[in-house]
Amino acid sequence: MSWGSLLWRNLARNKLRSALTGGAIALAIALVCFLATMPDGMNRLLEQFASGTRVVVHNEAGLVYPLPYAYLQKVRAMRGVVAATSWTWFGGVFVDEEGVSFPNFAIEPDQVGVVFEDYGIAPEALAEFRSRRDAALVGRATLRRYGWKPGDLVTLKGTVFPVDLRFRIVGEIPSERAPHFWFQREYLEQAVAASGGRLDFLGTIWVRVDDPARVDPLLREIDETFHNSEAQTSTETEKSYFKNFFGMLEGLVMLIMIVTALVAVCIVFIAANTASMTVRERMREIAILKSIGFSRRLVFGMLVGEATLLATLAGAVGAFASLGLSQLVRAAAGGWNPAMGPLASFIVTNTILVEGLFLAFFIGMLSGVVPSLGAARRGVVQTLREVF
Amino acid sequence: MIDLEDVSRVYRRGADEVRALDHVSLHIERGRFVALMGPSGSGKSTLLHLLAGLDRPTSGRVTVAGRSLNDLSEDELARFRSQHVGFIFQFFNLIPVLSARENVELPLLLTSLGKSLRRERAATALRVVGLGERALHMPGEMSGGEQQRVAVARAIVSDPEIVVADEPTGDLDAKNAVEILSLLRDLRREFGKTVVMVTHDARGEQFVDEIHHLDKGVLDRTVAGGAALRAAGDAT
Repeated sequence: MSWGSLLWRNLARNKLRSALTGGAIALAIALVCFLATMPDGMNRLLEQFASGTRVVVHNEAGLVYPLPYAYLQKVRAMRGVVAATSWTWFGGVFVDEEGVSFPNFAIEPDQVGVVFEDYGIAPEALAEFRSRRDAALVGRATLRRYGWKPGDLVTLKGTVFPVDLRFRIVGEIPSERAPHFWFQREYLEQAVAASGGRLDFLGTIWVRVDDPARVDPLLREIDETFHNSEAQTSTETEKSYFKNFFGMLEGLVMLIMIVTALVAVCIVFIAANTASMTVRERMREIAILKSIGFSRRLVFGMLVGEATLLATLAGAVGAFASLGLSQLVRAAAGGWNPAMGPLASFIVTNTILVEGLFLAFFIGMLSGVVPSLGAARRGVVQTLREVF
Repeated sequence: MIDLEDVSRVYRRGADEVRALDHVSLHIERGRFVALMGPSGSGKSTLLHLLAGLDRPTSGRVTVAGRSLNDLSEDELARFRSQHVGFIFQFFNLIPVLSARENVELPLLLTSLGKSLRRERAATALRVVGLGERALHMPGEMSGGEQQRVAVARAIVSDPEIVVADEPTGDLDAKNAVEILSLLRDLRREFGKTVVMVTHDARGEQFVDEIHHLDKGVLDRTVAGGAALRAAGDAT
């Protein structure tokens, strides 16, 4: 018999209790590992979404405030701008749905293929998009969600504008990260004009820049150009734009991280409770061990060792389970279930795995310290008197 | 071998003082089988704890195997016990998740012996107590008498000079009690161990060399046990 087998036998003494405590620790560590992927995962997701040579111009006061439509031509004329297109939020609702369930924008069809070259829209689809006034390009996820296909007719009820528009889907935006529904701005302008209104504003301008080195100067140039205008602009890189757009999500991530930390603390208490019960049940044995020469330090080490072994083993199960699941999601996203694409950014790395194992180790240590210290410090005669 | 000089042990129980031992002096020769007897609360277990290095006296001096136990720290006392004293308790107290051999092996974990040597010694100790065949049995699969014999094997496996037993027959039937007493006597007779036993069991008187009676913390009288009387009879 070795010290290791002694610890293991003691853990196996109450299998159900050890399994339940281990299960709680494993689950908590798996949760912590998953949530630890959030900050890097969000960043990775933004990197995926964002192009290094695409910038976005919007009203400095906020995304809900429009910009004059004339700004688009001025931006297009600036040095380094390869192409630019505007997005104007239509806020269309499909059939009987209560709210907007996919982003739909009125855009200029002539340059969209260049501005969003990385989306890989088929040239034939772009050509048809330019040639048909009622044409719509729809993101792959949205097509899949509603079972639409090119050639289908779709009507959206306007919520921002008092018009309902019928579209013919002419092609797909073959990107999992773009669920958009794009249609010709001219179609909306005419519909609004027919209803007695006038569409002379836009929401945002998306700009393709010729050289990444030109991006920063261009950001400044655009904002300086419109500095004294009726609507001042705020121009930023696509990554920065999405980061701000998902700002609330970052707050949520922070909240989740705090809750995770609290879960870890709760698990320490649960494991400590288990360790306390174990120690209380074994007071007689501990007294015997001390009698035959086990020092206080050794008894303390043995009891803490048991708690640490349980927590570390359970933590390893939890950490490796999270790693396995993360790899499964990545495999799914790259193969049979592309809809899981964004989730594939949340990767349990080796670093997170090691952090999870260390956390489990410390949970075990912390949970074992107090009850073990009490048992180790209790005098052997006092214990013998109490238990015999 | 064991010397207690004017030893007192006082416990505090709330505001009260309990004098468990009151100026007790006692000398036990090496290789003797000694019984400490007396009514409950007479101080016999306290005396056993003191001479086994489990407790320290309030006053007086305890010397065992040439070492003054008064001067030892907690860790040193633990080391002393592991090297010089074997313990047997009333309720067997084996670790239920360990086999007989592993229970016997426990004290050897504190030594520098290798795994195979530890296993070999434990097997030998089990053979000494007549349980060589049951080495792999778990405590729950053994009778009370067998469990107590495993406890005896555990007490002697590290070859201590002294074996102390606190009511070793207290939880056994008559047949098993006699077997255990015989075993303790054999430890003294065949292996030269000094055996000190606290007991209420009158049968024990027949097996020991000397009996020290305590009453209210005072060593009342010392008488020769049956073993000594028989030895004296054989000599005459």
